[in-house]
Amino acid sequence: MASMKDVFKSLCLGELVSGLTVTARALFAPKATVLYPEEKTPQSPRFRGMHALRRHPDGTERCVGCKLCEAACPAAAITIEIAPNERGERRTTRYEIDMNKCIFCGFCVEACPVDAIVETRFHEVCVESRAGLVWTKDRLLDNGARREEEIARDLERDMKYR
Amino acid sequence: MTNTVSIEIDGKKILAKEGATLIDAARDAGISIPHFCYHKKLSVAANCRMCLVEVEKMPKPVPACATRVADGMKVFLHSELVLGAQKAILEFLLINHPLDCPVCDQGGECRLQDLSMRYGGTRSRTREAKRVVSPKDIGPLVSMREMSRCIHCTRCVRFCREIAGLAELGVVGRGGDSEIAAFAGRSVDSELSGNLIDVCPVGALTSKPFRFRARAWELCRRPSISPHDSFGTNVALDVKDERVVRVLPRENEEINECWLSDRDRFSYEGLNSPDRLKKPLIRIDGALREVEWNSALDYAAHALKSLVEAHGADALASLASPSATLEEIHLLQKLTRALGSGNVDFRPRRRDFSTDGHRSGIPWLGMRIAEIAELDAALVVGSFPRKDNPLFALRLRQLAKKAGRVSMLSLADDDPRIDLAARVAVRPSELPAALEAILRAFARSHGEKEPGSRVLSDTTAPYAETDAIRAIAESFAGAKKSAIFLGAGAEHSPTAGRIHAIAGAFARASGARLGFIGDAANGVGGYVAGALPTGLNAYEMFAQPRKVYLLHGVEPELDCHNPAQSLFALRHADLVVAVTPFVGETTLEYADVVLPAAPFSETSGSFVNTEGRVQSFEGACRPLGESRPAWKIFCALGRLLGLPGFDYASSAAVRDEILVSTAFEGREGVGEIGRVGRVGWVEGLDNALDEAFAPREAHPAAAGALERVSDVPIHFSDAIVRRAAALRETKDAAAPEARMHPTTLEDLKISDGERVRIRQASGSSGAFGASGASGETTLTARSDTSLPEGCVRVAAAHPSTAALGDMFGTLTVERA
Ligand code: SF4
Ligand code: SF4
Ligand code: SF4
Ligand code: FES
Repeated sequence: MASMKDVFKSLCLGELVSGLTVTARALFAPKATVLYPEEKTPQSPRFRGMHALRRHPDGTERCVGCKLCEAACPAAAITIEIAPNERGERRTTRYEIDMNKCIFCGFCVEACPVDAIVETRFHEVCVESRAGLVWTKDRLLDNGARREEEIARDLERDMKYR
Repeated sequence: MTNTVSIEIDGKKILAKEGATLIDAARDAGISIPHFCYHKKLSVAANCRMCLVEVEKMPKPVPACATRVADGMKVFLHSELVLGAQKAILEFLLINHPLDCPVCDQGGECRLQDLSMRYGGTRSRTREAKRVVSPKDIGPLVSMREMSRCIHCTRCVRFCREIAGLAELGVVGRGGDSEIAAFAGRSVDSELSGNLIDVCPVGALTSKPFRFRARAWELCRRPSISPHDSFGTNVALDVKDERVVRVLPRENEEINECWLSDRDRFSYEGLNSPDRLKKPLIRIDGALREVEWNSALDYAAHALKSLVEAHGADALASLASPSATLEEIHLLQKLTRALGSGNVDFRPRRRDFSTDGHRSGIPWLGMRIAEIAELDAALVVGSFPRKDNPLFALRLRQLAKKAGRVSMLSLADDDPRIDLAARVAVRPSELPAALEAILRAFARSHGEKEPGSRVLSDTTAPYAETDAIRAIAESFAGAKKSAIFLGAGAEHSPTAGRIHAIAGAFARASGARLGFIGDAANGVGGYVAGALPTGLNAYEMFAQPRKVYLLHGVEPELDCHNPAQSLFALRHADLVVAVTPFVGETTLEYADVVLPAAPFSETSGSFVNTEGRVQSFEGACRPLGESRPAWKIFCALGRLLGLPGFDYASSAAVRDEILVSTAFEGREGVGEIGRVGRVGWVEGLDNALDEAFAPREAHPAAAGALERVSDVPIHFSDAIVRRAAALRETKDAAAPEARMHPTTLEDLKISDGERVRIRQASGSSGAFGASGASGETTLTARSDTSLPEGCVRVAAAHPSTAALGDMFGTLTVERA
């Protein structure tokens, strides 16, 4: 009996119809994919993308060279060298993050006592060699300069949870 | 034997010495009580209150550092009362302590940080502004920039007063306004000032050269031995990226306790100086060029061989630095002797070698270092103890404190920061006579006949028996344990043999022990290594210029007794092979082959200190550039020259050969000395002279001539220290001046502060012919009442005085 029903169903293209129903529903449902790169997915203010070093509004570096981020980094991706600057303050002479090693855990950000190293929303990196993924101090400061407003806003929004 | 009492700490029964403080008793039992102001080597101040503990039947918590144990005492370290007290104390301390750990060099090794983490609260309740203390400047070594961090434990104040011997720091102001400060505008000039950094429990006193260089957790701590003085101070080298970036003391009660002299602490900067040579150099067409190792070694071996063949082995002379390792000195002398020459030495600053062949053994301290403080009386002859060996001075200070009598017979009344029983300053030529006067005064007051005329018959006039002389002799009366120490000024003197003999006679007469403070890390080791000359000694090898010189670690233009004479000989030699970590400008001038050797921090080796203790160490980091350990260089040279016995697998193999099997021949055949007894101590140490010894040399000063008094400034004593940047900025490294007694200045019609031209014959007995017969230099004249009349104090070992001659010769002074 059951087989009769199946034969009838298949003759009437029942499977096809139910399959096409799914397709038809999907055709009119709201879409989740975006047209990257013209369109982008939303990001949390805590997004952990490429790092940046920040400056004070007066242009001096925030980082005081305490090396806590270097010590906290589980991937040993950060290399810092320090020396007193011309004003006798503790400053870095070298600050490098090897993005090949970095696992974007954000520990460095959490370790920093002065909010100098941050992770930004920027994540679209394209390089031709691995060496290009070693971000020097200049590069990090530059990233910070480009996005300072965004960084400050994101930190502000996250403040109440810290 | 002190009695013991039994106490209970947190329910655990322990035995403690009667009269001990709770904190000491607990520490001996392996229990630590948190503390700030307590320091085991300093007096008790009990002002930080971190060590509060609860004791049964006492109404309030008591400070463990100031409470003595009593039998049956029950102590609680973790009761609620104690925990509450600790938390409150930390909150108090942090009221005014800045929260700047991220920029503080003490971060990561800070007692306040550690104890706050362990015992403190988690939140600050302080809303008020914190106080700010103005920064101070106390010199180039210790930073006092962040004095707001000070917690007023007064450890630094007590250290200066009790250990360094002068209260250079004090507390000014009261209560919330108290500050630690030096006397207005003064710097802290103690040669032990670096210890303030260790003593300060927080980051208020920190190291200037190390400031903002690295973090404690990035450093690799490797044990080593300091090469700068005769004690063999135990140090820890902190290494980062194959560079020594900091030096700290390693505790050793028998040698340095927990202290370190500034020279040992800050000399590491010299190790990284730009003078470090990275590749071998050989002279090609008149200029030194960098070459590969094999060409340099081939060249050196070939040149050595052909010159020795052409001019005979006697044309070769070798000189090792007394701060080189035992193994290096041994291999150098082995190489020299294998080439057929006996002209080898390791005592460049010595002038009088008359005791060679007459000693019963190796000259040494005469006792263990730790025994110094246990003496009842001591006489120090010809030394500036604070500058020659700061840790020796520290032991003397301890001795003086324990009501021991310390007196000095010196060449200038420098302040030793020791409470002296008596002191006499004499001209160098008078030193033997003055010592003899002490001996006579002692003998007379003990009803003995005038002693030892054989030794003492002297051409110089007898020294008048002054009150001070009698007081020195008196200080030895009734002393059970006493000693006479001969310092650098006595060892380098042209009458060193005579001084040695008279001091020996005095030691015999008074039952005192005789000791040599020693002037270098391997002053004893050189004898053990067998580097005594069988030909020309360190002075003669330059006085009678040789064709070929083999130098190891020395810069004769600064390190020799007569720098001008040495430089002249080197400039006119056919071949100078220098095995050294550094090339100075002068080395570049005379050297034909420079082989870059690794300094002590980059090689393994051993030092035998002045008490005869053998201390071996490993390299702390990789040799810089292409430099190599010197023992390997000498082995390679030996093999290239086809000499047997240069196949060692390690420096330890060299050491074992020296210490177990060496019987070495001194000049005129000193017997078999230098065998090691127990591991760690050399045998054959003996300061006695044999019967046949009769001092020949007299001081060269003719009556009325101006005598030169010279010392080796503490921060110029060897090639490494000379290159340490921060040490060069200290007061001790100021350019030498011509210091004279005011009367002498007046006689010369020169006024204080004027520029004067100093002339000194630089060669002995015309070995130079007309050339280089006299050297001169221009210095500033200074009036200095600490000097005896008729002397001019001109420091040695400094480039500005390198043109002069003998350290203790005569000179002329005229207005420039
Ligand atoms: S995000 Fe994590 S892995 Fe990357 S640098 Fe920071 S600490 Fe290191
Ligand atoms: S980025 Fe922050 S944590 Fe890292 S060294 Fe600078 S101040 Fe310290
Ligand atoms: S400077 Fe350091 S050692 Fe001196 S009182 Fe302050 S905290 Fe104590
Ligand atoms: S350690 Fe006892 S009061 Fe400071």
